[in-house]
Amino acid sequence: MKTVIEGSHAVSYGVMLSRAEVISAYPITPQTHIVEKLSELCATGELKAKFLMVESEHSAMASCIGASAVGARAFTATSSQGLALMHELLHWASGARLPIVMANVNRTLAPPWNIWCDQTDSLSQRDTGWLQFYCESSQEAIDTVIQAYKISERVSLPSMVVLDAFYLSHTFEPVDIPDRERVDRFLPPYEPKYKLDPKDPKSIGSLTPPDLFTEIKYQMQQAMEEVKSVILQVDDEYLKVFGRRYGLVEAYRCEDAELVLITSGTASSTSREVIDRYRDEGKAIGMLKIRTFRPFPSEEIRRVLKGIPKVAVIDRNISYGMGGIFAEELRSVFCNEEVRPKVFSYIAGLGGRDITQETISDVIEYTLEQDRPEEEIFWPDLRR
Amino acid sequence: MKQKVIFKRLQDIPPISISMGTMLWNKTGTWRYLKPRYVTKTPPCNEACPAGNDIEGFMVLVREGKFREAWELIKEENPFPGICGRLCFHPCESSCNRREYDEALSIHAIERFLADSQLEKRIEKPTPKVKHKEKVAIIGSGPAGLTCAYHLARMGYGTTVFEAHSSPGGILRTGIPEYRLPRSILDHEISDIESWGVEIRTNTSIGRDIPFRDLKTFQAIFIATGAHHSRNLDIAHEEAGGILSGLDLLKQIRMGERPSLGEKMIVIGGGNVAIDVARSALRLGVHTVEVYYRRSREEMPAIPGEVEEALLEGVKIHFLTSPIKVIKEGEKAIGIECVKMTLGEPDESGRRRPFPVEGSNFQVYGETIILAIGEIPDPSFLPQEVRVQDGLVQTDETGLVHAKGIFAGGDVSNPSHTVVEAIGAGKRAALAIHEYLRGRWLKEKFPMIRVGEKGTISLRKYFHPPEGEVNPPVIPFKEINTDYFEHLPRISNPSLSIEERRGTFKEVYAGLDRKMAQEETSRCFNCGICNGCDNCFVYCPDMAIKREKDHYEIDYDYCKGCGICFEECPRSAILLEGEGR
Repeated sequence: MKTVIEGSHAVSYGVMLSRAEVISAYPITPQTHIVEKLSELCATGELKAKFLMVESEHSAMASCIGASAVGARAFTATSSQGLALMHELLHWASGARLPIVMANVNRTLAPPWNIWCDQTDSLSQRDTGWLQFYCESSQEAIDTVIQAYKISERVSLPSMVVLDAFYLSHTFEPVDIPDRERVDRFLPPYEPKYKLDPKDPKSIGSLTPPDLFTEIKYQMQQAMEEVKSVILQVDDEYLKVFGRRYGLVEAYRCEDAELVLITSGTASSTSREVIDRYRDEGKAIGMLKIRTFRPFPSEEIRRVLKGIPKVAVIDRNISYGMGGIFAEELRSVFCNEEVRPKVFSYIAGLGGRDITQETISDVIEYTLEQDRPEEEIFWPDLRR
Repeated sequence: MKQKVIFKRLQDIPPISISMGTMLWNKTGTWRYLKPRYVTKTPPCNEACPAGNDIEGFMVLVREGKFREAWELIKEENPFPGICGRLCFHPCESSCNRREYDEALSIHAIERFLADSQLEKRIEKPTPKVKHKEKVAIIGSGPAGLTCAYHLARMGYGTTVFEAHSSPGGILRTGIPEYRLPRSILDHEISDIESWGVEIRTNTSIGRDIPFRDLKTFQAIFIATGAHHSRNLDIAHEEAGGILSGLDLLKQIRMGERPSLGEKMIVIGGGNVAIDVARSALRLGVHTVEVYYRRSREEMPAIPGEVEEALLEGVKIHFLTSPIKVIKEGEKAIGIECVKMTLGEPDESGRRRPFPVEGSNFQVYGETIILAIGEIPDPSFLPQEVRVQDGLVQTDETGLVHAKGIFAGGDVSNPSHTVVEAIGAGKRAALAIHEYLRGRWLKEKFPMIRVGEKGTISLRKYFHPPEGEVNPPVIPFKEINTDYFEHLPRISNPSLSIEERRGTFKEVYAGLDRKMAQEETSRCFNCGICNGCDNCFVYCPDMAIKREKDHYEIDYDYCKGCGICFEECPRSAILLEGEGR
């Protein structure tokens, strides 16, 4: 049975069903509803977890690290400046190989002050060693949280489940909330390979000299590479139990397409409508939604886009001095390929500007018109 | 211990940097340059209590529901919790650190609750641990005399209390109205004292029935005859008929008389006797009661709460007015001529001295005129060797008068006239007599048994000297970590409505119930005293704090001296000091 709930609460219920044991958070718009709901669930006893009110996001992540290091399933949620404040500890969590799950509600970084959606916050943490999943719907959010614990605990790396601010976090949708017992069977209690125990004190994260450092980092990259197959295995298991799967990427009507749109997050839903209209008109346009950003699904993307002449990447983010971050990753995926699509990079929807059907149509029309991109970056919704 | 681990292959290397063996060999305590240490400080309430009650201690016990133990803790220092819990002006509450946060704790009401909770339970045949052959005579069975007798009896001395009146209690029996102190409470606490073997000889006045010199058969004497004579005004026609002393009227009422007082009463004075008389008169049906006091409300010696109640009940108080002449009709006084006053610089009592305003005279009339401008002792029965100055028996700080084996205390030697100070004086005299009879001098012990710097002493410290600092510093409000305390309203005694008080001497305050008392103690900061809250234990990042059965221990092998325990202790029961190297 489906229940109409807010996107933020979909995350909260996912955390409850995953039986997180420690939740530590500091409020920040637009994330707050997630932990508000969790605090209620803790108060009513529906979730038996230690809820920690901390004085900053830095402390929130620090206490998740402590909890995870002693073998507890830990969760936090944040956004924007809060995520930025955690930065140092994001490296710590992944370096110590702790399977923490965090929800990040995409909000841009100030100044100018702005509480609305874009992906600059999470993408700024690209290189911290966290897995990153970008969700399109509330259903995907609740399912991804449950999957993320299983994936993270198997590969000993932390996961960030990413939701668009307001478009997803504050929107109500019908969601199939998984059955508790079935989630328990799918996700057994966390059993860490290494953990801190006061009865047998050990030191973790301590000084590691040059003769061992490279090996430890090599293992981390190996784990990241292994993640892709783990995600797919877990996704298959999830499909069997709950009837849903998401993949690393999702190709939508890409067969024989002359142009494929590359999207992530809620812009994918809007794009589906536009793609359907073009297809109805007989125009071969497809869409590739990138769900897993770290690890980056290079092979899957190459496979889907094989023989596609043009791609138009819609980036709700910007790396100043270079351009759209997804576009940048995409170019690097193809740089050694003999046959590769022309990559058109569009930056749209910054700071909560709507990515409308018109914006997407403009992107498609413009890309279709050009033989090759004449500029490194296009700004389809810029006021001129 | 330290051994080099050599990894041959990648598979041997753990995925995270983690020590392969235990790290206990790494004594990180050697990094420390600041060292935390648990301390016990003096809570300001304990310092402020003239009776020497361990207030913080009984708050902890009440919170745990250990009412009997809490009551026994008070009884170690003070035989009168039921009386102090009703009559005391509670300097403990005035010193309570919580006052600076929201409101002082209802210590007074909790003490009374404890006494009331034990009314049904008697002490089973109390016997002192040791017996001494010496006997002590105590003159006067008020709070000072009975407290002294109680403590001496507990220490194993034979004690005889001489009381001129027909029943014991002194001012508690003759001067405090029933609505403030029900007689049953007084009887109960006195019978507890008697159960220790204290002999009380009533209707026996030293001087009148037995000459003072006959007390030589006792090895020590404690003079505690109180202050039962009303001070005179020294104004014209004071001797006129119809002028009564406040103390005498209270005594008459206490003895069950219901004198006819007319429609309107004038009371001169601003102390507790004046207020007690005024409130009693209203209860006896006097229509209008007007109190005339020469200073302002701030300078009134009466307990502020009592003044507040008097005003609520309808007593009218005229401040800055002083009587200068009694107005007579024949031989009977029918009124008072007063003059308005103004306040000047503070006098030797610290209060601003009043001056008359020239030409501001006015007359007031009433059927009854009561004088209640102060009470003084009558030392006329005392032998020459007991020095008396300004009407007060002169003693040193242990209560010793300038005569061998004779001690004095309470209102007979102290002009402040409070029950709790009389209790403190009785206790101090008991100890001084004990020391004297054992050939020692109490004064030398004072540094070891003081609680804070205001002169109060602790019998518990006397009999069970504390480990560590004997009189640790009093903890000020600024050392409380208020982050750990919620603002909570003070729970006070419920009281009768004004209507319910009319025509009856029924007790005004109803007292707290168990739940209220326990809830109120949860507001206590437990200033400077560890109450096992676990904050240090939880916050120690090195897990160097061990929780033992009733205390914590710091494992200095691993304590790095970060100071978090010190910072996070809500009640400042941890010190952080430079490491002595």
